[in-house]
Amino acid sequence: MTELFSFKTIEEAEAKLDSLGGYKDPAEVVPLKGAGAHEVAVGPVHAGVIEPGHFRFQCMGEDVYNLQIFLGYQHRGVEEAMVNAGGNIARQTALAETCAGDTSAAAAIAFAELMERAFPLRFQAPDNEALRLRNILLELERIANHTGDLGALAGDVAFLQTASFCGRIRGEYLNMTALLCGNRFGRNAIVPGGVRTGDAADKYGEIKTWIARVKPELDRALKLMFHEHSVCDRFDGTGRVPRDVAESIGLVGVARRASVEFNGDVMARALVRRIEINEAHTKIAKLIGGEAPASETPRFDGLKPDGFTVVVSTSAAWRGPLVHAALFSPDAKMVRYKIVDPSAHNWPGLAWALRGEQISNFPICNKSFNLSYCGTDR
Amino acid sequence: MLKAFIARIKEGCRTGAFPPAEPNLPPDFRGRPEIDEATSAEEVEEMKSVCPVDGALGFSEGKAFIDMGRCIFCGRCAAKCTKVRFTREYRLGVFKRDDLVVRAGEGGYVPPVQTDAEALRLKGSLQLREVSAGGCAACELDANVLGTPAWDMARFGIRFAASPRHADTVYLTGPVSRNMRSALDKTYAAMPEPKFLIAAGACAISGGLYERGEYPAEPALYIPGCPPHPATTLEALLRFVGDM
Repeated sequence: MTELFSFKTIEEAEAKLDSLGGYKDPAEVVPLKGAGAHEVAVGPVHAGVIEPGHFRFQCMGEDVYNLQIFLGYQHRGVEEAMVNAGGNIARQTALAETCAGDTSAAAAIAFAELMERAFPLRFQAPDNEALRLRNILLELERIANHTGDLGALAGDVAFLQTASFCGRIRGEYLNMTALLCGNRFGRNAIVPGGVRTGDAADKYGEIKTWIARVKPELDRALKLMFHEHSVCDRFDGTGRVPRDVAESIGLVGVARRASVEFNGDVMARALVRRIEINEAHTKIAKLIGGEAPASETPRFDGLKPDGFTVVVSTSAAWRGPLVHAALFSPDAKMVRYKIVDPSAHNWPGLAWALRGEQISNFPICNKSFNLSYCGTDR
Repeated sequence: MLKAFIARIKEGCRTGAFPPAEPNLPPDFRGRPEIDEATSAEEVEEMKSVCPVDGALGFSEGKAFIDMGRCIFCGRCAAKCTKVRFTREYRLGVFKRDDLVVRAGEGGYVPPVQTDAEALRLKGSLQLREVSAGGCAACELDANVLGTPAWDMARFGIRFAASPRHADTVYLTGPVSRNMRSALDKTYAAMPEPKFLIAAGACAISGGLYERGEYPAEPALYIPGCPPHPATTLEALLRFVGDM
């Protein structure tokens, strides 16, 4: 989905970009004092194969009183590089895709739709086949990530069967993506104006058979976990973010849905992922079955030559809405680019979820959100 | 519990036959590029106009070249000009930075063989400490996947260690962002000797689409790709310790 805003001055346009938000580190570490008060510092380098971030668990006895999250370690200037790429569309597409690797397809879609909206004469409207492939890549990305995270959740409560099964099954979905475009993360396929791969349609039959084989295996792996009392006991009531809190701190995506439709605990976020896996499969089946994908980009307006234009493009990334926005000058030059990963809105939710928990519950709270460091830091 | 046990038996062994069998690569897999001897400077310029990365393609000493250390293997150059092709050669890991440069007319590629005695001693027990320094998580995820039953690199004694104290190598991903410099240096310094640095992915090797920060040491192994395919990574790690 794209929106186009016109402004007379660059200040107004920049204010629009700034209003899209982003994560801000706590200004300083607020010390916690008193008998039994202590602090545990973790990171930036963590024990697992994950990205860097610094966490301060401020505890009263065994319980976490407050968690402060400090990010910025992954900042490498994606937005500046976008602007400096000055019209090299291939480079800009690659930059969008590498902002957060696990959200490559969603990012490529957001960037492509943004450019299509801004330059309707330069980029043709993507045809149905291009939209079909884009949407299938997006849904495969969703399934692969949710599957991986559910497996990681199982691993963190030492339920190793589902952890192992999901680890392998996630790979199957990545390989399906690679079958369609040659890259396991759906890269190098989605570009402004359409897609680069010509004959993806021939491969849909194979994808259909592949999913028919793997989906029951995934269902079995998840059923095993969700029906296991020892797992449910760990998930239920852990890391709860109540609905009113979720709404007031502005959570988005999976985390918000878990707090609005369910009770906002680790179990709720796990269930939402399971639901979204099923929804994504339904969507893929419809797309492969021939249903025409909805085109959301209105094509009647472009940049206005007498002012500054902000184009905001939102794609349904697996974590939640991913926002790409660009500010164009009157001579159609990109002067600022802004990326707001859904994670940027959800870090405070993770901090909230930890309140009153033991530090030992951090891993499952963290995995239930699985927020992107690089997407937030850009 | 019984159900879990039955599910485990039904799942069976899922570890791929690679290695020693050939890996199962997607049909559109883009591996080591091949450039025709007679590729002109003009053709290189034409390909450069569609290349997303600065310096991935070039022309020097009368010959076209592709620097795999910068290349993100998107295939745009090959789509533009038939004189470049991406082969299915996945054995891309090398021990010297210069070996990542593929020159026009080069044929008969043989992956380099490890001769470093210290590295060869790690065969059967190679402990990696992953440090993501500005990485986009794609390299990290596809390294992590080697620990799943599908690849099971632990059968060769290769593991990701939780602490640098228990590690032989830092497995670096990302372009070394400014804010990760000191953490990377400290992690590297915390490893006992002998120690190595592995640079995985275009960002860690050259910065790729970004600018690369400084290494704590010269890498002893370069694994190109954006991200490298797990088969490429596993083969490179095995060859690094002389197990391939």
